[in-house]
Amino acid sequence: MSNIKIKSKNLNVYYGQKQALFDVNLDINEKEVTALIGPSGCGKSTFIRCINRMNDVIDICKVEGNIEIDGIEVNDKELDVVSLRERVGMVFQKPNPFPKSIYDNISYGPKIHGKGETKSELDEIVEKSLRKAALWEEVKDRLDEPGTGLSGGQQQRLCIARAISVNPEVILMDEPCSALDPIATAKIEELIDELKKTYTIVIVTHSMAQAVRVSQKTGFFHLGKVIEVGKTEKIFKNPDNKMTQDYITGRFG
Amino acid sequence: MTKEERLKKRHRSEKRFKLYGVASIFVALLFVLILVQNIFSKGSSAFMKTAINVEVFFDPELLELQNGASSDDILQADFFDITIETLLKAYPAKNLDEENELIDLFSTDAEIEIRKAFLENNNLVGKKINLEITASDDIDQLHKGNYPRDLPEDRRRISNFQLNIYDNLVESKKIVKNFNNYFFKNGDSRNPELAGIGGALVGSFYSILICLLLSFPVAVLASIYLEEFAPKNKITDFIEININNLAAVPSIVYGLLALQILLATIQLPRSTPLVAGITLALMTLPRIIIPCRASLKAVPPSIREGALAVGASKFQSVFHHVVPLALPGTLSGTIIGLAQALGETAPLILIGMVAFVVDIPSTPIDPSSSLPVQVYLWSESAERGFVEKTSATIMMLLSFLIVMNFIAVYLRQKFEKRWN
Repeated sequence: MSNIKIKSKNLNVYYGQKQALFDVNLDINEKEVTALIGPSGCGKSTFIRCINRMNDVIDICKVEGNIEIDGIEVNDKELDVVSLRERVGMVFQKPNPFPKSIYDNISYGPKIHGKGETKSELDEIVEKSLRKAALWEEVKDRLDEPGTGLSGGQQQRLCIARAISVNPEVILMDEPCSALDPIATAKIEELIDELKKTYTIVIVTHSMAQAVRVSQKTGFFHLGKVIEVGKTEKIFKNPDNKMTQDYITGRFG
Repeated sequence: MTKEERLKKRHRSEKRFKLYGVASIFVALLFVLILVQNIFSKGSSAFMKTAINVEVFFDPELLELQNGASSDDILQADFFDITIETLLKAYPAKNLDEENELIDLFSTDAEIEIRKAFLENNNLVGKKINLEITASDDIDQLHKGNYPRDLPEDRRRISNFQLNIYDNLVESKKIVKNFNNYFFKNGDSRNPELAGIGGALVGSFYSILICLLLSFPVAVLASIYLEEFAPKNKITDFIEININNLAAVPSIVYGLLALQILLATIQLPRSTPLVAGITLALMTLPRIIIPCRASLKAVPPSIREGALAVGASKFQSVFHHVVPLALPGTLSGTIIGLAQALGETAPLILIGMVAFVVDIPSTPIDPSSSLPVQVYLWSESAERGFVEKTSATIMMLLSFLIVMNFIAVYLRQKFEKRWN
């Protein structure tokens, strides 16, 4: 049994008057891929945005309850979000490289965290991150070209490399393949498989097939509640809950 | 209606709409063309001035100077007698009246021009040189064809005798047209042939500079704070509404405000570019904040999220990513705001910039004019020479505005294209 990396206890989230998450209790294992599935608007993204406190950006969003990473409370007002986000990286639904060069996209994170003091250190981090994101071979000769000039799949891998560059412990992925074609998707999935050796990964996905392919553990969300959590194999082959069964067989959603 | 008829009707209405569009563009262009043509035809002649070629003899008896005199001595020396002698030699006059009429053909600055020629070449005592002396406004306008010479003599500013001299001078090719450097160099003057926009140019420059220095940083910081950091609540909503309202406040109101606060209460010097700059800055502030906020708003939120997600602080995400992306829009908004300020007349009239200022201001706290106010001042003058000066000043003002707008467009296109 692997260690629990992230633990949420009775997590409630409100957007103004509307409650988006109801008493979410979910454990995420270390160095494993956890997939979150469920119909649109069920709170999967809201949940992962609680892990690195990205919901702070939204004025009307209120979070109650606990999320712990390695036993440290994330929702603690005293906690520095900057160092939290250094430990918990994120990849978004739509690739969002900075409109800067490929090199600057990767080196930005290490620079602001003081991780690469010299040019050669930064060069090393950039190469390492791009290699880990399986992008190095494709872009090594044009690091000074704009990141926005890459194809969609390459941009998303660039964003993954950017997340890796600060050497986080957890990577959150919010539907990372929804804007990509099947070939680019396959590449990202391959990459996720490789990354889970080093990082704890939480991925939100709408594709059941993707959840099966990449994850070891799956959580099914519906209307802001966690309906069922378990080993991916079990959830997809033999779910305990009728609703889970209906969703994965495509009867609603 | 059959299907075919409906289709025909649809095509017809489309054609009609296109026609309306083309027609309205045509009308708009026509108006612009009339305006430009009108200004050009009236104003272009102001860039030339008429001068009369005369022979100057630096008579040692009339001049109390030796060769090699210091420039101080030359500036203090009396050139009046030599000037009169020179002008009278241009044409044989029989009596005092005729002599006066002859002298009136030349600009009142003839003496200064002769002294200047002497100053430039300090060994002319006892020598003769040919000099082109600026003609009076009447001759200038006559020579440019702006003055009707077929009126009866008692209704003309130029007498028959003067016309006679003029024709004579033209025949002997003594009358020349030169580039009008006075127009750019001189300040205002009661004599149209000597009046220039030098003072107004410098005054406008100082005003806009002060306006830029005051309004740009304040506007940019205010918009960054409001757009990126301020909480969205009733207070910020109220501020936003008021900024939009301020941008629509007639500029003359800002003039009244400046009159009361800057001049009456704080007692800053009247008619100065300093006060003009502060007034224009107040007026321009909301007009810069609005495009500035719009360009910040146009930066996609995904960029902010991307920066935050790698652990940038709010401050870092704004200043490393959002502001650089919003910069082209911000700059072009600023330039357009300044261009509006450059053409603003009403508030400047209220703070006393309509004063008649001959000297070119050397600092922002010297009394001064500005380009649009100069247009206003000259457009009220009766002399024919000021008509072309007015139009020429408008031409200068318009060309500054066009250049500024071009810079704004250029900045926006150049820096926004870069990554797309």
